[in-house]
Amino acid sequence: MAETTVLKDSHLSLSAKLRQKWAEIYKARWPYLFISPFYILFLIFGVYPILFSLYLSLTEWKGLGPIKFVGLKNFELLLKDKVFWQSMTNGVILFFLYVPIMTLLALVLAVILNSKRVRGFRFFRTMLFIPYIMNIVAAGFTFRLMLNQKYGLVNLMLGIFNIAPVPWLESIWGGRISLCLLVIWAWLGYNMVIMLAGLQTIPSELTEAALIDGASSSQAFFYVTIPLMRPVILFSVVLSTMGSFNLFSEIYNLTGGGPINATITPVIVIFNQAFGNFRLGYASAMAYLYFIILFALTLLQFRYFGQQAD
Amino acid sequence: MLPRRLSLWLTDALMYALLIGVSAFMMLPFIWMVSTSLKPADEIFAIPPIIISPNSTLNAYVYLQEQYNIIGIIKNTFVIAFSATILRLFFCALGGYGFAKFKFPGQAALFAFLLGTMVIPSAVTLVPVYIIMRDLKWIDTFWPLIIPGAANAFGIFFMRQYTMSVSNELMDAARIDGAGEFTIFWRIILPIIAPGLTSLGLIFFMGSWNDFVGPLIYLKSPEHFTLPLIIRSLIGPVGRTVYDVQMATSVISLIPLLIIFLIFQRRFVEGITAGAIKG
Amino acid sequence: MLGKKMLNFMGIILLIAVLLSACAPTATSAVEPPATDAPEATPVASEAPSVTEEPVEAAKPSGKITLWMWKAAHDALTNSGVLDEFKKEYPDVEVEIVEYAPTDVYQKLPLALQAGTGAPDISLVENSHLAQIVALGGLTDMTEWVTPYLDKMNAYKWADAKLDDRYYAMPWDSGPVVFYYRRDVFEAAGLPSDPEGVSEAVVTWDGYFNVCQTIMEKTGSACFSNNKANNYGRLYEMMLWQQGLGYYNAEGQVTVDSPENIATLETLKKFWDANLTSDQLEWTDGWYAELAAETDAKPIATLVEAAWMGAFLKGWIAPGTEGKWGVALMPAMADGQVRAANDGGSAFVIPDQSQNKEAAWALTEFLFGRVDSQVAMFKASDFLPSLEEAYTDPVFSEPDPFFADQAVRPTYVDVVKIVPIAYVYGPYYPEMNGFVATAIQKVATGQTPVADALKEAADAIRAQTGMP
Repeated sequence: MAETTVLKDSHLSLSAKLRQKWAEIYKARWPYLFISPFYILFLIFGVYPILFSLYLSLTEWKGLGPIKFVGLKNFELLLKDKVFWQSMTNGVILFFLYVPIMTLLALVLAVILNSKRVRGFRFFRTMLFIPYIMNIVAAGFTFRLMLNQKYGLVNLMLGIFNIAPVPWLESIWGGRISLCLLVIWAWLGYNMVIMLAGLQTIPSELTEAALIDGASSSQAFFYVTIPLMRPVILFSVVLSTMGSFNLFSEIYNLTGGGPINATITPVIVIFNQAFGNFRLGYASAMAYLYFIILFALTLLQFRYFGQQAD
Repeated sequence: MLPRRLSLWLTDALMYALLIGVSAFMMLPFIWMVSTSLKPADEIFAIPPIIISPNSTLNAYVYLQEQYNIIGIIKNTFVIAFSATILRLFFCALGGYGFAKFKFPGQAALFAFLLGTMVIPSAVTLVPVYIIMRDLKWIDTFWPLIIPGAANAFGIFFMRQYTMSVSNELMDAARIDGAGEFTIFWRIILPIIAPGLTSLGLIFFMGSWNDFVGPLIYLKSPEHFTLPLIIRSLIGPVGRTVYDVQMATSVISLIPLLIIFLIFQRRFVEGITAGAIKG
Repeated sequence: MLGKKMLNFMGIILLIAVLLSACAPTATSAVEPPATDAPEATPVASEAPSVTEEPVEAAKPSGKITLWMWKAAHDALTNSGVLDEFKKEYPDVEVEIVEYAPTDVYQKLPLALQAGTGAPDISLVENSHLAQIVALGGLTDMTEWVTPYLDKMNAYKWADAKLDDRYYAMPWDSGPVVFYYRRDVFEAAGLPSDPEGVSEAVVTWDGYFNVCQTIMEKTGSACFSNNKANNYGRLYEMMLWQQGLGYYNAEGQVTVDSPENIATLETLKKFWDANLTSDQLEWTDGWYAELAAETDAKPIATLVEAAWMGAFLKGWIAPGTEGKWGVALMPAMADGQVRAANDGGSAFVIPDQSQNKEAAWALTEFLFGRVDSQVAMFKASDFLPSLEEAYTDPVFSEPDPFFADQAVRPTYVDVVKIVPIAYVYGPYYPEMNGFVATAIQKVATGQTPVADALKEAADAIRAQTGMP
C-alpha cells in the first residue's frame, strides 16, 4: 500500500508538489490564523531581541557607548565562570529538593479535594490558593522575618519543642531549604489548581468502576487516576523544571542568592551581570548557553515521558 | 489488612490531617502579615511575638491613602491586570484550539518552537525590548505591561492540553451545518473550555497584579505606579522598612484578588460539577 | 447570543483600556530651558513671585525638575526646610522628588541612561556606585560648574566623580568612619567608658580584640555584628580603606589577594574564631533590635561605622537608648597608623537627557555648595557635608544628648580630614565587592582558608574585568 503511494508522489512535478503544499496550507488557513497572534507578537518582542542578544553575546557593551566585537571571548570566560556553573548546579539541586514533593502533594491534594469525600472543599481550596495570590515581594519579606535565626517565629515555635534554633538563612542547606519552603508555599496552590482542572476531565465513572470492582482507593489512584493524568502531570513537571532554574522573585526577595551563592540561579546571575555590572555582552552569552542547556533538558524530559506513555 | 470501616476512617482522618496541616502552613505567613500590619511599629519584634496587639491601629492604612493615594494605585493595577488578562485569554484560547483540534503542515515544529520559547530567560530580552518600547514611545504607559505578554506560550500550551479533551462531534456537526470556523470557536468551543479559561485567567490576572519587575522598569511617574512598586519602595535600607505600612499594602494588594477568586470560584465549581455529571 | 454580548463586552473593555492608557502622559516632561535674556514665567503652580533682596539675575532657571533619592535623604531635604528656601530664591522652579531605595536607583537609573529616556533631572547616587555610573556614560559633564568647588570639598570625594579629567557629579556628604560604643556595656564590663579612654583602649585592632574578649566575658554581649554567611564585606572595606589599600591599586592591578589584603582579612577572622561577634546581618530588623536593646538584654556593644550612622541610631534605630552611646576613634591597623576610613557618602548626578540642566544645577549648587543649606541639612540628618567650609558652623561643636552630651561632631570633622585615598570604590565596585563578599563568607563559615578564598576572588575579578 505505502509503496504505491510513494511511487505516485514521485511522479508529480515540482510545481505540482508546490501547488499541493500550497493547497494544504490554504486548507489549514484557519488554524494558522488562530495561532498567528502568538507568533506575530513573538516575532516583534521575542525574535528580534533574541537575535540582537545573540549578536551582543559576541561583543562587550555597557548599554551605552560603542559596541566592541570580541568574538567568542565571552564564551571562553563563561566556561571558567564558577558562579555560573554553581548556579546551574543549584538549579539541579533545587529541582530535586522541591519538584517531586510539590508535584506529589499537589496531585494528592487535588485528588482529595476532588473526591467529594471531604467537607469544606471550597474552604480548603481557598486556603491552599491564597499564597499564590499574595505578592511575592511581601511574601519573601515575611518569610525572611519568620525565618530569622534569633527572632523569627519559626525558631521560636521550634524552641517550644526544645529544638535548637535552625540557621534557616545562615547556612548553605538552610538557605536552600528555606527557598524551597517559600517556593512550595507560593506554588503549591497553583499546581493544585492545574491538577484539579485536569482531574475534572477524567470521568468519575472510571474510578467508581474500579472501586466497585474491588480495588482499594490507593489502587484506584495509582492504576486509574495517575495514568489518565499523565499529560497534566507532565505539564506540571516541565513547568516546575524550568521554574527551578528560572526562579527569580522568590530568591531576589528571600536570600538574594546567598548564603555563599547557595541559592543563586542562572537567571539571577544573568540579571546581575546585565543590570548590576552592565556586562550586556557577557550576560547575553550566558543566557544563550543557559538556554541551550535548558532546551536539551526539556527535550530529554519529553522523550522520557513520551516513551513511558507508550 | 485493617477492617474496611477502620481503614476508611483512617483514610479520612489522614486526608483531613493533611489538608489541615498544609492549610495551616499556607495561612501562617498570611496571618503574620495581617497582624503585623495592625501593630504599632515597635511591637513587631517583641518576644514573645504578639499576634493580636491590644494597640491595634489602622494608622498604616490611613497613611497609605494620604501619602500614596493608594486608591489610584489600585485602579492602575486593576486596569493593567484586567486588560492583560483579557487579551491573553483570547489569544491563548484561539491558539490552543488551533493546535488541539486541527492538523496542519508544520504543526509539530511550530508547537516545539512554542515550547522552546518558554525556556528563554526574560533577562536576555529585557534591554532590547526596553529600547523597542522607547522607540514606540511607550515608556511610562501601561502598554509594555499588556502587549508583549499576550504572546504567552504557557497559556497556549495549557489551553491545548485542555481543549484536546473536547469531543470532536460537536465541531463536525457544526461544520456540516455550514458554520464558519470562527463562529464554531466563539459559540461552541469557548463555552466548553470556559472553566479552563477561568483557571488560566485567574493565573494571568494574579501574575499581572503581582508583577513588579515590569512596572519597575517601565513605569516612571508616581501616579502610574502599581501596588507591587509601592511595596518595594517601602523596603529599607537606607531608611527602615516600614513594616506595618508595607504589610498593610500587601493586605490591600491581596483583598481584591481574594474577592475575585471567591467570585469566580463558583463558576469554577460549576465547571467541575458539570464535567462530572456529563461524564 | 453569547457571541454578540461577549464581543460588545470585549470591545468596551479594550476601549476603556485604550482610553486610560492614552490619558497617561508619556514621560515626565519638563519645560524647555528659557533663552538666556528673557526668563519665561512658566505656568507652573508656584506662589506669587517672592520679593528678593538681591537683584534678580538675568537668566533665572525655571521649569520642573524631578529628583530620585531614598527616603532618608528626602527626609533631610524636607525636615531642614532647604526646599522652601530654594523656592524663595528660584520661584519658577518646581521640584518633584520621587523616592526609590538605593538598589532601585541603581537599576532604574542605568536603564534610563542606556535607553536615552526616562531618567530624572537629578539623581542621588552613593559613592560606592558613583564611579560605575559615571563610567557608563549618559551624565552631564559638570566640570565648569564644579570647578570652583574642587578645593572646597573633601579631596577624596572627587575621585569617584571624575573620568578622564572631567567631573560628572557634585558631592553631598561624606562618611567618615568612627567607633560607636555603648557606654553602659563598657561600664558593666569594667572598661573605661569615656571617649578618650575608649579611644586609648582600642588604639589598634589587637586592642579592640582584647576589649571584645573582656566584654564577652563580663557581660555576654557581642562586640559587633559580623554576619558570616551573608556578609556584605563593608567592615572589611573600611579596614582596607584606612590603610590606603583597596581591591586594586593606583597602577590598575587587582590587589584582592595581596599579602596586605590577606593579612587584613586574617585580622577580621580572629573575631569570628573567638565567637565575639553577633550573627545579625546589617540593615535587618534583627540587627536593629540588638542595637536598640536595653542594657540587660545583651545589646551589641560597638559599631564601626560612618558618621551618618549616628543619625540613624538617634532617629529610628535606637531612639530609646539615648544617652547610652559614645563616639571614639576607630582602631588603627597597627600603632601609629591612620584611624580613619570612609563608608558611603553620596552625590548628585545630572543625566545628560535632562531637559532642564540649568535648574538642576541651580538646585544642586544651592543645596551642596552653600554653607547654610549644608548646615541645615546636617542638623536634620547628620549627613556630614563634604563642603569643608561648613565645619566652621557652631552646630559642629554642639554636644549631642544622644551621646551623653559628647560633642561628637568635631570628631567627625577631625576624622574626615585624615581619610586616606583608597582604592575600594571605582568603576568595577559592584563586581569586586560581590566576589570578595563571597570570599569573606566562605572564610567566615570555615569553608575555605583566607588566602585561597581571596585568590579565587582575585582570579575571578581579573578574568572578568581584564585588569591584571
